[in-house]
Amino acid sequence: MANIAAQRIRREIKEVMKNEETAGASIKLELIDNRWTELKGEIGGPPDTPYQGGTFILEIKVPETYPFNPPKIRFLTKIWHPNVSSVTGAICLDILKDQWAAALTLRTVLLSIQALLAAAEPNDPQDAVVAKQYREDPHMFEMTAIHWTNVYAGGPTPVFEFNQKVRVLTEIGVNEQVARVALSTYHWDIERATEEIFSIYP
Amino acid sequence: MSAESDMEYSDNDGDDYDYYGEQDDCDMETVDRSKSDPEFFLYSCLKVEEVEKLLNESIELLSNSLQITPSLAKVMLHAYGWNAQEIINKYRENANEVLVYSRVKPRLPVGQANSSRTNCAVCANTPLLHKYSALACGHYFCNDCWAMHFEVQIMQGVSNTIQCMAQDCEVRAPEDFVLSHVTKPTLRERYQQFMFKDHVKSHPQLRFCPGPNCQWIFQAWTREGARRVECRGCELLTCFSCGAPHHAPTDCATIRRWLTKCADDSETANYISAHTKDCPKCQICIEKNGGCNHMQCGACRHDFCWVCSGDWKTHGSEYYECSRYKEDPNLANDSQHAQAREALKKYLHYYERWENHARSLKLEEQTLASLKSRINQKVMAGEGTWIDWQYLWDAARLLKRCRYTLQYTYPYAYYMEVGPRKELFEYQQAQLEAEIENLSWKVERAETTDRGDLENQMDIAEKRRTTLLKDFLEFNTNNASSSTKV
Repeated sequence: MANIAAQRIRREIKEVMKNEETAGASIKLELIDNRWTELKGEIGGPPDTPYQGGTFILEIKVPETYPFNPPKIRFLTKIWHPNVSSVTGAICLDILKDQWAAALTLRTVLLSIQALLAAAEPNDPQDAVVAKQYREDPHMFEMTAIHWTNVYAGGPTPVFEFNQKVRVLTEIGVNEQVARVALSTYHWDIERATEEIFSIYP
Repeated sequence: MSAESDMEYSDNDGDDYDYYGEQDDCDMETVDRSKSDPEFFLYSCLKVEEVEKLLNESIELLSNSLQITPSLAKVMLHAYGWNAQEIINKYRENANEVLVYSRVKPRLPVGQANSSRTNCAVCANTPLLHKYSALACGHYFCNDCWAMHFEVQIMQGVSNTIQCMAQDCEVRAPEDFVLSHVTKPTLRERYQQFMFKDHVKSHPQLRFCPGPNCQWIFQAWTREGARRVECRGCELLTCFSCGAPHHAPTDCATIRRWLTKCADDSETANYISAHTKDCPKCQICIEKNGGCNHMQCGACRHDFCWVCSGDWKTHGSEYYECSRYKEDPNLANDSQHAQAREALKKYLHYYERWENHARSLKLEEQTLASLKSRINQKVMAGEGTWIDWQYLWDAARLLKRCRYTLQYTYPYAYYMEVGPRKELFEYQQAQLEAEIENLSWKVERAETTDRGDLENQMDIAEKRRTTLLKDFLEFNTNNASSSTKV
């Protein structure tokens, strides 16, 4: 079984490389070890989205029964998106679960994830906090996503107001990541974020 | 002779219509069961082979009238809830629609370009031309990949719903296609077992007995209201409609709500209610460590009833008043906190009694076991034949069933709105409870000479039970929503 998996992965890496040359598509696939079980994926943020200009790294684990079972994929780069956990990077996408088909490839999956960044599914959320913000305050969501893309994925647009608010909290000794999550969760209301942080970390 | 008598008992256990003692029927001069028993429900309890035969009849009917293979017939029957006649009618109207709906055919015809026969898209290999196969959708893959796909799916417990390997293709693989690719005997067997289970589960007239390792299957023709079915194998009482333990007079939706509530709330509440109570007079916290329900407070010497916390003096004539829940009339004036407390108190009132009867029911199980050996001893010692003792056995079984119904009256009462109907219900409930306690007392102490008295008591208890069910079960199934509140 592992034989088919290795064969497939080998071909899929080639496929991605070939397409990369011709179309210049913003996805990449790299082997991590020589046993074909773990790969690193990379997707560019789609244009005209808050993720534009960012580069997102994904962890890809290939099960022994691949391609008859789906690969396990999560974001290593932190991202603010309704269908991706802002904590673990876990992705909620049907083709990674029950809609997986053996004829799908890592390339098609990465393209689907890229498409997910362009069109979120807030009714099937992975991160309830983000999904709520996406629905109720789209502008706040967009700014937060741009900010995260700038900080974690090398996006080109810094959001000075948010950077400053994070700095206020880090200067009083709060961990930067903790500060950013709390601020993002509480719509960048410093007071409520502070309250939250100090009720959890006394 | 004693060996023979043992056998007679065990034969009697298995009788699936022996819901309550035979004697009752004799008294009523063989009345129609559907009239004498408010819980009467027509069903049968089938063996695996009988169910297989039943399923095969549908499969044969469909495959003969539509001229299709049995394995395609299975896919279609599974999709249409085993209504062969409906499929035949619809098929004559629009065959294509039926095939698409049952996922035998793809929604859109597949172009030749999608189905390469020179390169398998799954394993990235190029096996010989004759080693490819495809379902009706025309997605060709190599046979090794099909075999592997089926193996992975079967190991995950999928059977009827295994799909084509192509992206976005929902066409299902019929049995003959799967079996032509799967060669391992253990895997084939597993697949067929899963198929059978899936068939029973998708069949509206069938339900597996939920008893552990039980192989029996119920067949009945309606799935609404509390419907009692009793397993011939493990004697478990199940509701055919919802698959939960039988729950008359409570209806399916209510019992689900009640069980969820119990699972959510009972951890803390359970401990407090099960182990401690405040003295109604001096409010000191008292832990019950066994013994009877007549309590005397160690601090203030107040005599009270453990169950209802009322003064023990009032318990002489109307002991069973304490099964009735009294809503506090001053409730509206109280604060929110007090209301929450009152809500918890109300829930605990019903929960305690529900739990208590569940426990008693388990003890009744032990009584049955010890009764069996007691009867055998008596017979061996020459004190009467097993016929003389049969009535005691019947009484114990009847007691168990009465208690069962009593237990399930508590969730019903909990969700009932206050009013004359609830008063009537709780009155009948109290009557039933009192008679059950009397019967329980008599069964535990019975000697041959008490026979007439005991049978009289059996009759009274059973009458109370059927009256309650008659008044509230029928109402229940006819307008289930009006008697309960959210």
